[in-house]
Amino acid sequence: MIAGRAGDGVLFTGNVLARILKREGWEVVTCRDFPSNIRGEATSYIVRASLDRIGGRGDCLDVLLAFDCDAVSAHIREIARGGVVFCDGEKVAPIPESEKANRTFHPFPLRSLARSRFGREVFKNMIALGALSYVLNLNHEILQRIISEMFLARKGGEVVAKNNEAFMLGWNQAKDVIDEAERHPLVKSPDSGRVLCSGNEAIAFGALAAGCRLFASYPICPASEIWQMLALHMPRFNGAVVQTEDEVAALNMALGASYAGARAMTSTSGPGASLMMEAFSLSGMAEIPVVVAHVQRVGPSTGTPTKTEQSDITQWIFGSHGDFPRIVLAPGSIEECFELTVRAFNLAEKYQCPVILMSELDMGQNLRTAREFDFKTVVVDRGRLATPGNLAAEPRFKRYALTPDGVSPRAFPGQKNRLHMVEGNEHDECGYRDESPDLRVRMMEKRMRKLGGAGKDVPPPVTWGDAGAEIGIVGVGSTLGPITEAQEQLAALEVKSKFLQLRTLWPFPVKDVERFFNGCSRVFVVENNFAGQLARLIRSQVECGPRLERVLKYSSLPFIPAEISEKILRALA
Amino acid sequence: MRKKEDYHLDDPTWCPGCGLYGVFEALKRAAAEEGIEPDETVVVTGIGCHGRMNNYFRAYGFHGLHGRVLPVASGIKLTNPGLRVIGVSGDGDAYSIGQGHFIHSVRRNVGLLYLVTDNRIYALTQGQVSPTTELGFVSVSSPFGSKDYPIDGPTLALAAGGTFIARGFAGEVAHLAGLMKKAFHHGGFALIDVLCPCVTFNKVNTYDWFRTRITVLDDSAGNGPADKLEAWKRLQDKEAFPIGVIYREEKPSFEELVVPDPGRPLAGNDLTPDVSALEKIMENFR
Repeated sequence: MIAGRAGDGVLFTGNVLARILKREGWEVVTCRDFPSNIRGEATSYIVRASLDRIGGRGDCLDVLLAFDCDAVSAHIREIARGGVVFCDGEKVAPIPESEKANRTFHPFPLRSLARSRFGREVFKNMIALGALSYVLNLNHEILQRIISEMFLARKGGEVVAKNNEAFMLGWNQAKDVIDEAERHPLVKSPDSGRVLCSGNEAIAFGALAAGCRLFASYPICPASEIWQMLALHMPRFNGAVVQTEDEVAALNMALGASYAGARAMTSTSGPGASLMMEAFSLSGMAEIPVVVAHVQRVGPSTGTPTKTEQSDITQWIFGSHGDFPRIVLAPGSIEECFELTVRAFNLAEKYQCPVILMSELDMGQNLRTAREFDFKTVVVDRGRLATPGNLAAEPRFKRYALTPDGVSPRAFPGQKNRLHMVEGNEHDECGYRDESPDLRVRMMEKRMRKLGGAGKDVPPPVTWGDAGAEIGIVGVGSTLGPITEAQEQLAALEVKSKFLQLRTLWPFPVKDVERFFNGCSRVFVVENNFAGQLARLIRSQVECGPRLERVLKYSSLPFIPAEISEKILRALA
Repeated sequence: MRKKEDYHLDDPTWCPGCGLYGVFEALKRAAAEEGIEPDETVVVTGIGCHGRMNNYFRAYGFHGLHGRVLPVASGIKLTNPGLRVIGVSGDGDAYSIGQGHFIHSVRRNVGLLYLVTDNRIYALTQGQVSPTTELGFVSVSSPFGSKDYPIDGPTLALAAGGTFIARGFAGEVAHLAGLMKKAFHHGGFALIDVLCPCVTFNKVNTYDWFRTRITVLDDSAGNGPADKLEAWKRLQDKEAFPIGVIYREEKPSFEELVVPDPGRPLAGNDLTPDVSALEKIMENFR
């Protein structure tokens, strides 16, 4: 862990360390904990590396590099026995003897070293990276390449040389102060050609690959990285990115673009999602495909914008006015952020309805290693489009033709002989307002039967662990990592478990969940919220099955595996 | 050669005498005289009596939510800049619930014609005051007289950096059609605020009331004044409503600035993934 205060360069240091480790061939998971503040408040960055696939931050810390003494006090209980702590020497307060057991503490004057050698404190981060690299026995050359990539083009050779010097200074200082036995040397494995990427960036990759051509959004934490990446790359793909005046405009603009023929998307978090509820209903009524990426943060209200939670799970499933079809997907890994985004665009156009991608800050903003994205196998399915055979009698085209599966051919403005209305009011087959009760019934049933066939098309849940186990766990999204690790902890104590990772929240996979419940004596639903929204959702859809026991965390931090395994063990005892 | 009947899809059912008949008539005339293609035109409407306009005017139509005409219309225009996109709103739609979208669409200079049919009342919800209602106006929602000072759309547009700001009167159809024709030739956001009497719920701001107050601007040179100060002065005269083009300037439109290739609409292009471009971006994540 690297810890300090906002403005110390914790994020920079953590990102670079994660990249070095990734290039050394490690599986990497990061976990940032930062305030809604640019300078001054406490912040930390965990980098976890393993040769096996990992999905979460883990239970404890082996190395802590602290930019001030408060950071040591804040995290001392998380440090493993045998752990090593570096703390910027000028501000170290004495550590109580009781806390010192089997942990070593080294004053490390990062700031004064930076000031005396380089005249600028900013070099403390590169010195810190040198010290960490010594402890972990990382490869100099990789770091030097990364320094060149970061600074050579933008700032020139002198800056590169100074950073290299600072890195070596940290390396050598660390070598002087710690014993060989205190190091945590990592065994090298070849870089397996994986990527280091956040969930938000993976969603942006998915949008680019799926042919998104208009992205309209309003700045909000923790979703903005999706937009920032699209803003950088969309022009190359003949697409446009718009910063709208608010989230109301963002979703309406995406709907206008989709109606006019483009694949369109917006991104947001809780408060923005609340503003989008009105246009969400319009997309359902007017049958306009659209994709919304919702990266959850702590609510209610403004909540804690820079911390993670899963308390908007039911917002898009039961939200907005009126009954209309919608699809809600929830990726559990970086790979799934990419794959489910591509699928979201295809599902939206196939079923002509809004598709929501639900992720959360822990997945959205933290870097993790992932399999390279396979762009070659991406298939774009635009759904049912008007063909010359659909040419309706002038002057009106049946945009909302009553069909057996409820899906009607789409046409776009600018096409000849396809004039029609797209209507938010109840309407006839050509889209013209019609209030007759009989038509209302037929149109409502048409819209709602569209998802009748969607069950086979949406991503099914994945079962992890021992399929024959009687202990069942259900979760969604980024709890995948901590839950599977908790399963390993349980297995080590000879408690077998199976875990159902839901990837589609709506239409709800009733059959899959019922099948999973078969043979379960106990079922634990693990989720990052107070009210147990996922458990409530399951209960509202699945009538039979065992009682659902809740494993909840709403401290604004993601789960660590021990919190899940211990809670389950206690319940079983 | 187009006739105005080519744009007449259906007979309106507005109250007899409604100002919207004049707007509909002017739009058909302007469309015919300019030879607008219905297949290449989209009319986006909000919620209010005006919202039926695309049930009667022959073109593609989008009838969405109250106040959300402009973001929808902007999304359409960006996606296919070759389309002629006409937004129609009422005073509540444009200047109350949609006010945020209004000033931001004006400042972006999106290439739309925006007709705000201003009857100074909420008519479809049966007679509440609107943001353009005069102070003291007695209505079902203000039995003791309105306590809100009115706002003025064209003045807001001027402050927001509008590039084509005009006012018309539903009782002067030929003049209004002329304004629409000028707006069709404007490259950016064209606002026409239309004084549009409601014969059912507003017995104060009647045809006669407006007729005694309007002054027709001499904009025979075609462009109106390019002087913001002069435009501002004209808009501040509460007793004499100038009708005509009040302000005009040329500025690049939003779609010119945002759409990467003006010759290639975002809509309808090949969506097969550009694998090599994507893999090049992925290099930055190794």
